[in-house]
Amino acid sequence: MIEFRGVSKTYPGSARPVVKDLSFEVLDGEICVLVGPSGCGKTTSMRMINRLIEPSSGEILIDGEPNTAMSGTKLRRKIGYAIQQIGLFPHRSIADNIATVPQLLDWDKARIKGRVDELLELVGLDPGVYRDRYPAELSGGQQQRVGVARALAADPPIMLMDEPFGAVDPINRSRLQDEFLRIQEEIRKTIVFVTHDIDEAIKMGDRIAILKEGGVLAQYDTPEEILTNPTSDFVTSFVGADRILKRLSLTRVSEMELEPANGSGEGLPTLSDRLTVRDALSALMGAGVGRGVVEGEGGRRLLTMEAIEGLTRGARA
Amino acid sequence: MSEFLDVFRRPDFIPLLVTHIELSVVALLLGVLIALPVALAVNRSPTLSAIAINIGNIGRAVPSLALLALAFPLLGFGFATSLVALTALAIPPILINASTGLRQVSPQVMDAAKGMGLSGAQILGRIQVPIAAPIIFAGIRTSAVQVVASATLATFVGGGALGQLIVLGFQRNQPAIQIAGALAVAVLAIITELLFGFLERAFTPKGLRVARKRRGK
Repeated sequence: MIEFRGVSKTYPGSARPVVKDLSFEVLDGEICVLVGPSGCGKTTSMRMINRLIEPSSGEILIDGEPNTAMSGTKLRRKIGYAIQQIGLFPHRSIADNIATVPQLLDWDKARIKGRVDELLELVGLDPGVYRDRYPAELSGGQQQRVGVARALAADPPIMLMDEPFGAVDPINRSRLQDEFLRIQEEIRKTIVFVTHDIDEAIKMGDRIAILKEGGVLAQYDTPEEILTNPTSDFVTSFVGADRILKRLSLTRVSEMELEPANGSGEGLPTLSDRLTVRDALSALMGAGVGRGVVEGEGGRRLLTMEAIEGLTRGARA
Repeated sequence: MSEFLDVFRRPDFIPLLVTHIELSVVALLLGVLIALPVALAVNRSPTLSAIAINIGNIGRAVPSLALLALAFPLLGFGFATSLVALTALAIPPILINASTGLRQVSPQVMDAAKGMGLSGAQILGRIQVPIAAPIIFAGIRTSAVQVVASATLATFVGGGALGQLIVLGFQRNQPAIQIAGALAVAVLAIITELLFGFLERAFTPKGLRVARKRRGK
């Protein structure tokens, strides 16, 4: 668990803090996304966890211990680190890039080699093909994958990721996000993820910390709660006017409690229960009807506007 | 023609050649030993790096002959005077290239290295120096060629070397000696250029060669 306790950061010679009295907890095995407009201190907050930046006041605890209990370099070797421009070492092979931290920790060669191949497999790159290549020979997306593999190399319980998918085109970004979520299912790391993109935050986060200018925490909650019940005008405008639709995209039709269709489905459109509720709603509206039949493992069930509204009930307009 | 070839059979040709090489090698070595540690030392501070680069640039602007003229009143005639002047000549290109090269490593690479827990010394030794190696070597090559060419002037302060043949040719009005001396210096300079060009390639990490080739496409 990572715990921010009253953390503030003011740079010397500056009157205004970039991070102001930040207190929140990141639970083990969760992805916590720090999101906000530029100048909200999200990257600064992340960089204070592994002490690339030292706070002006307050403290950050990792598993109950202040992160100042050991030297900065020792601490950083225990925390995975992946950044937007990737920062692969151009003079080192892919294998050596991934092996950076294990080498610092003096792992033996056989162990390192095994780990490198395992990680290349994990991020979907064939070790036989990519192990001995150099960063310049890889596409942007492949470099991002190597960046993630490198951050995971020594199996750190915590990972810091600063817009790790920022430098690729939207299609590749979406694929990398999906892949990473699949990997996270397996590895269950405690992850602090920085982005400026609210859609990425909603997709990636188990919990989202929305920061506003001056480094003030505006809301810290699950994506569902933030979209359904934003606590301030700032959050409302930051998540966008389509927040209810975004909320619907977080749920799949198969996860809804629906009545069996029985005989009442005559003439209604048929939808797959793998759709998100948002896509299902779009399909119903496209068909010009208020109801549809969902087909899936739960048999034939009836999807109605009322059921969809039930998902977002309690949302303030 | 035979007159010309005779120059290379003169009993003093080999000793002059040896002195020329000796002078060049020692001056270059001293230049590297002074310039590289300075470049490494100032690397962390942008201000000190800028100062080092500026001193290097001023140093480059001073002509070789002027350096000799400056060293002469202090040290008198001889090998040492030439050596000091040539060392002073060797330093600037190495200092400039090494300081610039080390600072040119991309901020993302530096941030990733620090963020993964490399210490300052490890970042310098494992990341910055290898990435800057081709630029550093290019500086050493420039220095080496310059030193070999300028060692010719050592003769004016009694430092010997191949310049002596050129001066001798002048004095005796024997162009053959003059040309043979000049030719020997030229060949030596070309060999130096080729040798250091080879070293530069050899010390460029493979990943950087690959990157350069890609960019060239």
